[in-house]
Formats: sequence, structure tokens, C-alpha cells
Amino acid sequence: MTVSNMAKRIIEMSNIIKRYYIGQPNELQILNGISLTVHEGEFVAIVGASGSGKSTLMNMIGALDKPTEGSYLLNGVDVSKLSDKQLSEIRNKEIGFVFQTFNLISRTNALKNVEMPMLYAGKGRKERSKRAMELLELVEMEDRSTHKPNELSGGQKQRVAIARAMANDPSIILADEPTGALDTKTGRMVMDIFHKLHKQEGKTVILITHSPELASETERIITISDGSIVSDTGYTGNAPDKEVSAE
Amino acid sequence: MSFFENLKMAFGSIAANKMRSLLTMLGIIIGISAVITITTLGTTLRATVKGALDSLGSNLFYVYLSEKNADNYYDTVEIEVTPDDLIQLSMLEELVEKYPDEIRLADENSAGSGTLRNSENKDVSINIVGAYNGTLDYNGGKILAGRNLTMRDVTERKYTCIVSDIFVRQYFKKGEDPLGRVIIVNTEGGAALELSIVGVYKYNAMINGMGATSEEEMKTPVYVPNTIAQQLQGIYYDPGLWGTMLSFNIKYDSKTVQDHIQSFFDEKYASNKNYGIKISSAMDQLKMIDTVINVITIVVAVIAAISLLVGGVGVMNIMLVSVTERTREIGIRKALGAKKRAIKRQFVTEAIIICLIGGIIGILIGLLNGELVGLVANMLVKSDPTYEDLLGNISIQPSTGAIMISLIFSMLTGVFFGLYPASKAAKMNPIDALRYD
Repeated sequence: MTVSNMAKRIIEMSNIIKRYYIGQPNELQILNGISLTVHEGEFVAIVGASGSGKSTLMNMIGALDKPTEGSYLLNGVDVSKLSDKQLSEIRNKEIGFVFQTFNLISRTNALKNVEMPMLYAGKGRKERSKRAMELLELVEMEDRSTHKPNELSGGQKQRVAIARAMANDPSIILADEPTGALDTKTGRMVMDIFHKLHKQEGKTVILITHSPELASETERIITISDGSIVSDTGYTGNAPDKEVSAE
Repeated sequence: MSFFENLKMAFGSIAANKMRSLLTMLGIIIGISAVITITTLGTTLRATVKGALDSLGSNLFYVYLSEKNADNYYDTVEIEVTPDDLIQLSMLEELVEKYPDEIRLADENSAGSGTLRNSENKDVSINIVGAYNGTLDYNGGKILAGRNLTMRDVTERKYTCIVSDIFVRQYFKKGEDPLGRVIIVNTEGGAALELSIVGVYKYNAMINGMGATSEEEMKTPVYVPNTIAQQLQGIYYDPGLWGTMLSFNIKYDSKTVQDHIQSFFDEKYASNKNYGIKISSAMDQLKMIDTVINVITIVVAVIAAISLLVGGVGVMNIMLVSVTERTREIGIRKALGAKKRAIKRQFVTEAIIICLIGGIIGILIGLLNGELVGLVANMLVKSDPTYEDLLGNISIQPSTGAIMISLIFSMLTGVFFGLYPASKAAKMNPIDALRYD
């Protein structure tokens, strides 16, 4: 119970710089020294116009990319120093991606899609399908487990994608414009699931969006412009306790 | 990620593109089916020829005088052969006595023809053939009743003979027992030869020919001890032989018998400076067929290799297309934590499975081809009783070695040509791959 006051720091970025080299004289600096700390159980929105560098920041947080300079500690591990293989492991175990375009594998059904991160984590068949089924229940998609993505609506696809993001019980749910391809109603449903994950499961959720309305639903809004953080409403400190099932 | 999961994934993506996968496999199917067809026919041909040689007397050796240090039979004319060099009958007798159950003397000596008058006053023509205890083997005959001639018949100049089943029908009345009967043969030279029948053999038309159109007209050999035949020819002194046929009991291993004969003669010719004895066998013919089959197999293997190469390039091409098409999938998998190795393995497995399925289809088609050829061959064989006697039922014998090698090679093709597309997939940057449309 006391943990909530001294919540663990999940993300500690200090002075992150990302440069791209497009030929020697044309270096392009996307991130200009970003420092950011996110605690366990926070629901954070990263807001910025397109071209602001928020996607690059998301890639950085999601261990898809390494910073050119600066350090990024994810759960105390310095991601900037990891090998390609280790980055894969970090993505597999610590990060749960939710994309704007859902990114489900179209050939396989919902259950198999949810199982996929567990497959790469080397979990057994029984364990995988049991956990995947539980997660589909969590997003209320259990009756569609054998449907392929093209038999699902956009909202349903995104719910499957969220279940997949939860598969290996990651430290962070990293959602990139998760409602961008959805209408308002289904978008609302998806947002409700994120709130549920945050409140009930105590997940750390990072929402990347350009919509100020969605951002306002979260606890903390970080605004990015031209590769720098221009505003941060800051850590509220009242991250919710994990719901301890007393059964 | 287990091997089994990889397999499932590979089958899934192959099944998702059935037509394309099948077309991709085509080169491999053609290559492998060609190899299996030809090797099946090769092994079957070999087995059939061996079977035929066995029934004709693969248990025969030709023992011949050969110049020492000469490579083949035709080189033996270099140094003049003296009577001392020739193979003496006494040597052969000694050899046969040394291995009585194993080796028989199979030489024959044609001593002209003869006639007999049967009870219906009809003339029956025969050939008088001087024989030893193995001559019947040489002619592919089999004793039906009584016994074969023995070396004792020869050395003791017994007036015995064995006659063919055809002769029995020509000469005797139905139901008469020819064994023990004495026949009188009028020879070309005007002599009358009184012979006692000790055995009846089955005439082998395949080896000796039908000769006449009707059985009544046929002239079959009456085998008499060669000493009797020589007497008829006025030969009282046998100078020796350049070469002779030996047959052996098929109970014994041909190699062992050959070694026995070789060492026997090596001892006899140890003091002979110029000449020794060489042995050739019917199996040498088989070796020749083997050589032909091997050459054909090599040619087909080269064609198959080319076809596998082309097929493999096709597989690589399709895999490259597939990798490009599935860039986004690769990006997703990487984002979800797939390591380079896992992606690589996924695509290599897919290539291997495509090639392996192609290989298996090729093998099945090859086997089917073999069966079809077998069916046709058997129809042809059955249409002629003499062939049927000799060849029997041709059974198609697929070469298991070729099947194993085909499977291994189609798999290797998959590995080889799948590796480049797979490592291309594995090297993809997840960020770019995820953005790919």
C-alpha cells in the first residue's frame, strides 16, 4: 500500500538527442535533448503536431530505436546500450504496442494474434492460449477469438490489438493514435479500455496523440514541439493502487 | 519459438498462396520426378537383368588362358602359346574333384547330328553333344527326371545320355517311361551308338532357340559324356583347352567360388612364366549394365541439378516477393519482440517447406511414372511366353537411395535459396517496416 507514494520510475530519459544523417552536411536533429520521467501506473499523454518529433520519441520509448545521445533507462536498464537482440527482448517483455492501424497479422485469427508476443517469449502452447483467452475476455472479444482480422470491425481489431499488447504483461502500454482510425463511438470504447487497464490493472499507459481532448482524459500531458518538451503537467503522484484481488 | 510453431506458420503462409506456391515448386517437382523416374527404371532394369542372368546361368564362369601382366583377353596373342600352357582336362577333373559339390565342368563339344527311328517308324533328329556334369547348367536346362551326367560317366566312358523333354515326346509314346531305356542313335558317320537314358531335362528355348516352327521338327541335344563324343569324333588325345566354361552350385557365393578357382589355377600356373588363368563371369555383363545405368544416372542428375537450380532461383524470387509483400508483417513481428533469428528462421522454414513439398510431389510423380512403365513392360512381356519364362513378372523397384538423396537435396535447395530472402527480412528496420504500405 505504501508503494503508491514511492512509485517506481519506469522511464528515465535524460537529454535524449536523435539525429538522422542524410548525407554528411544534412544532418537532421529530430529530438533536441528530451528529459522525461514516467512512474509506474501513470497515464500519460504525449501531444504534438505532426512533425513535432512525437513519433520518434515513441519509437525511442518503445525500444524500436536507440538515441544518438543521452541515456534512457527503462526499468533501470539502459536501452541506449543494448544490442539488437536485447532490444527485441525488451520490446517483447516490457512494451505493449497499440498502433493507429491496428497491425494485426491478417492470416491468423484473433486468438493467434494475441498469442504472438508469447510465442516469441517462448511460452508453451497451453499457457499461451489460456492467457490469450483471458485477455480477449478482458477486452470483451472472447466470442470473436476464431475470427480473422478482416472479419472484425475497426473497434474490434483495436481491442484485439490491445489484448495483444497486454500479452506478456508489459511495463508500459504504448499507444500511438489508437483511436485515429476509428469513429467517435468506437474510439470512446477503446479509450475506456485504456482507462480500465490503467485503473483496474494498474498499467502504465502512454498515449501518443495530436488530439487535446483525448489528452485531457489522462493524468498528465506532455506537449512536444520541434523536438523539445514545451510543457509537462507533471507527475500527479496519485497513481492508483493495483487492484489486489482478495479472493 | 519452437520448431513446430515455425512449421505451422510456414504451412499457413504456403496455404494462403496455394497457386503461387505450386508454381514455385514446379521446377523442383520436374527435377526430382525426372531423377526418381530414371533411377527407378535403372534399378528395375538392373534387377530384371540380374534375374534373367540368374535364370540363364549367372552361376557360370569362363576360365581362360591369359598372358600374365595382360589387361584383357585380346592381349593374349603376344607370346606364342605352347601345348604346355593349355588347360589340361586332368586339371579340370582335379578341380571338380577338389570341390565336388561346388564346381562343375560346363564345356560342351558338338559331335554332329544323329537320327533315331521311333516306334511309329518316324525319324527323330538330334544333336549329339559331348558334355560334362555342368554342361546342362550352361545351356540353361533343368533336370526333370532321373539324374544329370556325372564326371564318372565321363572318365569311365559310360554309354549314358540325357535327353530333352521335347525328345521324349518325339520319340516315346505317351505314358512311356524313358528312364533306363536304351536308344540307338545313327550318327552322321554311319555308326550306331547305343545309349542308356539316365535323365530327362527341360529344354530352354530362350537360350537354345526354337529352331523349327513345330515341336515335331525340332532338333534338341542329346548330351553324352564328352569322352564318348570324342570317341565318335576320332579324338583319342585331348591337347588341352584355351578356355572352358565352369558352372557352380548357386548355394555357394560366386565370389568364394571364383576365389577357389583362381587360387587353384594360380597354383597350377605358378611356374608358367608367360601364361596364367583369368576368370570372367556373367556378372561381368551386369557390371557393364551398371556402368550404362550409372552414366544415365549421372546425366539425369546433372539435368536434375540444373532443374533444381532453376527451381531454387524461382523459390528465391518468390521468397523475395513474399518478404517485400510482408514487410509490414515483419515490422509487426519485430515490434512484438521477434528477434532477427526468429524472422530468419520463419522464412527459411517456409522456403524449405516449399522445396520439400515440391520434392515429395516430384518423388510421387516419379514413382507413378515408374509404375506406369512397369505396367506397360509387363504387358509386353506377358504377350510372349519365352520372354515371360525368362523375365517373369517385372516388379518396379524404386531406388530408396535416390528418394533419400532427393529429399535431402530439395531441402538443401530450400535452405540455400531461402537464406538470402530470409536474412533480408531479418535485417529490416522495424520502424521502416511498420510504416510500409
